[in-house]
Amino acid sequence: MSSSTTTAVRSQSTRHGPLERLLQFGKRHFIWLPLAFTVLWAGVPMLWALSASFKSPLEVYAVPPTVLPSDPTTEHYVQLLGDATFWVFMRNSLVLSLFSTVLAVAVATMAAYGFARYAFKWRHFLLIFILVPRLVPRVSLIVPIYQMAQGLGLTNSYFALIIVYTGTAIPLATWIMVGFITAIPKDLEEAGRVDGASTWQVFMKLVLPLAVPGLLTIAVLTFREGWNEFPFILALTTSADLRTLPYQLFLLLDSAGIQNWPLVQAFTVLSILPIILVYLRFEKYVVSGLTQGAVK
Amino acid sequence: MADEQQSGTLAPDVEGTVEPVYRESARHRFTRKGTPYFFIVPAVVLVVVVLAYPVGYGIYLSFMDTDVFGVTRFAGFEQYVDMFQNPIFINALWRTAILVVGTIIIGIVFAMLFALVLDRVRWGGSIWRTIVLVPYLISGVAAAVMWRFLFSPTGGMANPLLGFFGVPPLSWLGDPALAMTVIILANVWFISPFATLILYAGLKTVDPVLYEAADVDGASATGKFLHITMPSIAPQFGLALVWLSFASFNMFDVILPLTGGGPARATDVMALLLYELAFQQLDFNGSAVVMVVLLVFNVVFSSVYLMVVRSE
Repeated sequence: MSSSTTTAVRSQSTRHGPLERLLQFGKRHFIWLPLAFTVLWAGVPMLWALSASFKSPLEVYAVPPTVLPSDPTTEHYVQLLGDATFWVFMRNSLVLSLFSTVLAVAVATMAAYGFARYAFKWRHFLLIFILVPRLVPRVSLIVPIYQMAQGLGLTNSYFALIIVYTGTAIPLATWIMVGFITAIPKDLEEAGRVDGASTWQVFMKLVLPLAVPGLLTIAVLTFREGWNEFPFILALTTSADLRTLPYQLFLLLDSAGIQNWPLVQAFTVLSILPIILVYLRFEKYVVSGLTQGAVK
Repeated sequence: MADEQQSGTLAPDVEGTVEPVYRESARHRFTRKGTPYFFIVPAVVLVVVVLAYPVGYGIYLSFMDTDVFGVTRFAGFEQYVDMFQNPIFINALWRTAILVVGTIIIGIVFAMLFALVLDRVRWGGSIWRTIVLVPYLISGVAAAVMWRFLFSPTGGMANPLLGFFGVPPLSWLGDPALAMTVIILANVWFISPFATLILYAGLKTVDPVLYEAADVDGASATGKFLHITMPSIAPQFGLALVWLSFASFNMFDVILPLTGGGPARATDVMALLLYELAFQQLDFNGSAVVMVVLLVFNVVFSSVYLMVVRSE
């Protein structure tokens, strides 16, 4: 608190009694209590898991439980990171999220450009056709998509999963991108055409560079969906070679008997670390993207 | 494509006509008319393959019946009649309703509180927003693992914490009512950050002049909240409610790893029943009925929401 506000409080409090002074103090610092609750609510489940991941299998069963590991050990992290199958899950998560992100960004950006810049027959209908499926919850699609994939012999394949992840990301990504492209002035494109650039050249060389914030926004959102996706990987794969981190985490938990909680929590921490790092790097785009996607 | 700019889309407007001033070849005409379709066709194809066709196929499945020999016949509404007479399905409807209502009540209060805190706190920059948003970034499975551990009888935090106040240890995930409570809390933790973000964006749009005027009139904090803040953010408040109910109604990721629907189907919501029918009982037609019911709810709910928003 700066000295000027302190004097302001003091000069006020000389006019009022001690009770008003207390009220004044309470009002000024009341934010602490809700802020502490907010931070604890969001942070405690994660910190409890983080703390457990450094405990020995014995210590995690201590009664009463220790808040911080009394003898921190990295054995569970060492065990996971030294396990080749862990890296298979990591690779699967990366392949599925990255490929679907690149595809979805490309397809959604092209579609958004078509909708934002051209008047054509069926434009309104097609726009609604692409946007309305946002209302279709992913989990509801697992039955028909599983049957389709089975009929085509496409269960247990990267291909089917990437197509599904991309397709489910298209509505929101297109929605956000139409907004971004509409906001780009047309002058540059018209100048480009006068100079003899083709439509494709205009799109690639003039529109895309200006749309980078939009591209990053939909890229981060699609990556997050792919990284965290659960129902489709559960329905469309049986092979351990195709498991992603969330799927394996679910299986770790689901196995009967006593949980090896420190190992499970180390796995949890490793599986959420990449997406948190991506978020911290692109925070601005995530927040604006989420807000726009919701409010528009 | 290279000669497209000559073929009319952006041709200079000559004497008030947008038509090309030269005779257009069939190929040019095709390229010009086709350009927008070239851009949107990939997206349309993907939406058809992954969203539109599966929805149609799911509806088709819900009207079919496959016997033990794998022979499929048209069954009309038989599957629907069966499903609505099935106590397990009715149970799932109720459990879903409890989850949605519980999440909305706790979620909107928390989201509002968090949004107000984010809006009022004057130092620390975006660190608070980051902390609030993190639960929404991680996978539902990871959220479920954390919450299951919090309430675990071994190594958990809930029982020792309550024990400090003299409450005997509870079997959180073994008791039907308590298990639903844990699911609702975990669900609120997982999805309310997004509602917080929506409300926070709303709070940023409130005109500060209104508060200053209220201060001059000596309004109380509660009065300011009820008569200035709430009316100003009504659209975002509605949106936050819609988000909380949608996400809860379709929730799957958090519940399957946390309770698996148990104990005794106490947390067996619609999305879980859909999965269980298809992949454990191999009743794809029954599962498709649950899917259609889910879809109908989503469509009706969003239509009502759109009508309310438009009428305002």
